Amino acid sequence: MKLQDPRPSKWLLFRIWASVGLQSFGGGASTTFLIQRAFIEKHRWLSMEEFMYFWNLCVLTPGINLVALTVLIGKKLGGVWGIVVSLAGLLLPSAAITCLLAATFLQVENIAAVQAVLRGVIPATGGIMLIVGLNFALPLIRRSYKEGVLYLLASGVLMIACALAIILLKLSVIIVILGAILLGALFFSPGRGSPLPEDEEEQGEQQ
Amino acid sequence: MINPLIYFLLFLKASLFSTGGFSNLPSLHQDLLANGWAKESYFGQSIAIGQISPGPNGLWVISLGYFTYGIAGAALALIAITLPALVLVISAGYTRIEQRTWVQGAMHGVSLAVVGLLLSVVWTILHQPGVDWKGLLIAVGAFGLALSRKVNILIILGLAGLAGYLLYR
Repeated sequence: MKLQDPRPSKWLLFRIWASVGLQSFGGGASTTFLIQRAFIEKHRWLSMEEFMYFWNLCVLTPGINLVALTVLIGKKLGGVWGIVVSLAGLLLPSAAITCLLAATFLQVENIAAVQAVLRGVIPATGGIMLIVGLNFALPLIRRSYKEGVLYLLASGVLMIACALAIILLKLSVIIVILGAILLGALFFSPGRGSPLPEDEEEQGEQQ
Repeated sequence: MINPLIYFLLFLKASLFSTGGFSNLPSLHQDLLANGWAKESYFGQSIAIGQISPGPNGLWVISLGYFTYGIAGAALALIAITLPALVLVISAGYTRIEQRTWVQGAMHGVSLAVVGLLLSVVWTILHQPGVDWKGLLIAVGAFGLALSRKVNILIILGLAGLAGYLLYR
């Protein structure tokens, strides 16, 4: 596949990202698909390999992965201004609609029918959120399983321990994350004889 | 009442210590409630509005910003979710760090923590005011439909809204 000269006009870049943002409903997978279709298949400004490389960097970046992906693609296609118009295109139209919906909601929230509908929608988002968590968890579980049962078990314990630390112990999220980073660096780093040392009680929540 | 700088920094902190669109919720939940700047019900409502509106999932915080601090809150929230990604622009030695073994272990640890955070998000949503056993059934139904991957999220939310209307009206 031959790549086209990746120098689109800023206005075109803005419009493409805006249409990606406005067509994205229900999560990252659909947005990723739209980005691939626009930048790899339709305009050929990006190869699939580049896209995968960008994506791997984004997974390591804090915050919303799609925003990071937008920054990387925007930078490649237009430098600093490419980043600015790409972010503006992805976020501003969608954020404006979100604001409008929020404002509309505040006008109608006291209507009984609206509250009834919301009492159905809110728990449903909880069920959907569980899928989001599952999508995150499955590749981790698969990778852990390859490393052995002990590794898998320790991963499961750390996962649950983090949830309980926030829900029950009300620990600060930052402490939980920093603790998980530390435990991960100590116990989950490859290249040691055994992925886990014998004394697991350092993980605290085992007992 | 609300100190804009601290408000912004709370959103930025939540965004910096998160990955994906939702794992900033537990941090915001803790901090905004502790400061008395948000009501419990804002969180469920914001997530619901975020699901209905277009754009990346992470835009639910725009709605939370709007509910807590109006247009200024929405704008500050938008800046807060954008800034962490700009780290990518200035980080040149990024790929080399990725190779170190302890970084891989740490990444595994932080990914597990994010799943834990998402589980606590589910917990928070299912403990929103007004969610009773019928609501839990709706949650289970939505989970099942979403798991099948055959039904669009908007249709699931529409069905849930209809169920809510019929059950609670």
